[in-house]
Amino acid sequence: MSRTLAADAMLFVRAARARAYVRIVGSFREPNGLIADAVFPNLGMCAFVLMYRALGAPAYYEALAVIGGILTTYWMNVLWGMGAQFYWEKQSGQLQLYFAAPCSRMAILAGMAAGGLLASMLRSLVGVALAVFVFHVQLEPFSPWHLAAVFFATMAALYTLGMIMASLFLLYGREAWHTCNAFMEPAFFLSGLYFPIRTLGAFGAVAAAILPLTLGVDALRQVLLGARSPGLMPVRWEFAALCGFAVLYFFVARWSLRYLENLSKREGRLTQRWQ
Amino acid sequence: MAVSETFTRLRTSAWLGWQVESNWADPVVFFIYLIARPLAVSLTLAAMYAATRDTATQGAAFAGFYVANAFHAYVNTMVVGMGWVIFEEREESEMLKYVYVSPMGLVTYIGGRSFVRFVLGSISAALMLVVGWFLLGVRWDFSLTQPLPLAITLVAGLAATLAAGYLICGIAMVLTRSAVTVLEGCMLGLYLLCGVIFPVDLMPVWIRPLSYVLPFTWWYECLRRFLLGHGSSAWMNTLTDAQLLGAMLAVCVGFSLVAAFGYRELDRLARRLGRLDQTTMF
Repeated sequence: MSRTLAADAMLFVRAARARAYVRIVGSFREPNGLIADAVFPNLGMCAFVLMYRALGAPAYYEALAVIGGILTTYWMNVLWGMGAQFYWEKQSGQLQLYFAAPCSRMAILAGMAAGGLLASMLRSLVGVALAVFVFHVQLEPFSPWHLAAVFFATMAALYTLGMIMASLFLLYGREAWHTCNAFMEPAFFLSGLYFPIRTLGAFGAVAAAILPLTLGVDALRQVLLGARSPGLMPVRWEFAALCGFAVLYFFVARWSLRYLENLSKREGRLTQRWQ
Repeated sequence: MAVSETFTRLRTSAWLGWQVESNWADPVVFFIYLIARPLAVSLTLAAMYAATRDTATQGAAFAGFYVANAFHAYVNTMVVGMGWVIFEEREESEMLKYVYVSPMGLVTYIGGRSFVRFVLGSISAALMLVVGWFLLGVRWDFSLTQPLPLAITLVAGLAATLAAGYLICGIAMVLTRSAVTVLEGCMLGLYLLCGVIFPVDLMPVWIRPLSYVLPFTWWYECLRRFLLGHGSSAWMNTLTDAQLLGAMLAVCVGFSLVAAFGYRELDRLARRLGRLDQTTMF
């Protein structure tokens, strides 16, 4: 029994590692694409920072927009690199290979998340460089441990949410694709990426209860900007909520993958292209 | 006869474009999808302004940024959307080569598809302006509006948008997999370079020449000046109305000529490289 469990765990790790390898190598295969992926997401952030500057707002708001802008890289990776990945696989006729493989679907998604996270971290360094060298963002003294804890809790919550999104593509095609598309700017707004989430009042609290990105941005700002960034809740509470989101989303994703896989097999939509 | 035939072809490709854009959802869902993004951008800008209202020293400039952002919907929807048409036709439906050799031709086909994008862009822009006016309090004094220069500005800007769309189509034809990244980059790059939500004076000096050769930089400044009565760029504010309008027209015409030439050359290059039916299994 325990031997089977150990073998399953080993298979999970190996499958996840293999998928992460493909994701990392794929991300760095095209130098032009790599530069574009690293630079372009930060252009929007620059525009928002310059808008604050044009309005004559205090420098704190620029710092706030920079932190939000850096996190957009991850959100975009969750949406397009995780959520929509099964759509690409379905379009290219490779999705069925995942299901024919003897490993768990969660292992494939976990590998995709790990690889995507690593690639996004390198890309977000461009945002950090812009913050330091171009916009001269001033941070408060902070604990790297607190930063790491909040960051990884945010990423865990975001990428498990991405797993749920990915499961939708087992059944749906363009509907899910357009939903991903429509989630971009609304998520930027609901998570207060470019403004203090408290500006939204009670509506912001509701957003935080739905989107882990909202809590993650708020917690990271509290850690990096200190008292200049009054948050929705104390950082500890936000950290706990993010961990809770990650666990909850993980189990929802597992259930959702099983349910939608069966449903899409019954309806013959698992391998259906151009739907 | 030829005009009538061209019109029929444009109408047919516009109808096809509409089906492609909208047939994945029922009308209610599609409408929600259509308004979700522009509404969210409007609300984000409004929230940024609201957050800084008590501390910002130049808050009056916000209306100009908001209006330009509303009209930027045309650039996002038409320019980038036209590039996506090439990408989708080649990679997803694998029909690009058939469209190319059809009697309709690619140029007419893209023109028809761009009309749908124009309608979608108009809905987004109108929605943002209406939401701004009625819900967010972004208002202006219509007595300062100059209707004739504004009308000329609108026509010239939309023509330049169409020309830029064709240029992007040419680029998308030559590129394969990286076209997606370039299209998204164009969307964000134009948002920054054209000073949609800030005056271009704030850009580093070495980037500004690039901003000034783009027609949208002038378009947004003219829209601000002729709709609201004031621009946002200190340098452009030194120009008279006639000078600003003249400069905008000159840049739009020059850019459109370059775009037409660019499209023709890129089309030729794409054929030479065999890119019309080259899929990448994305």
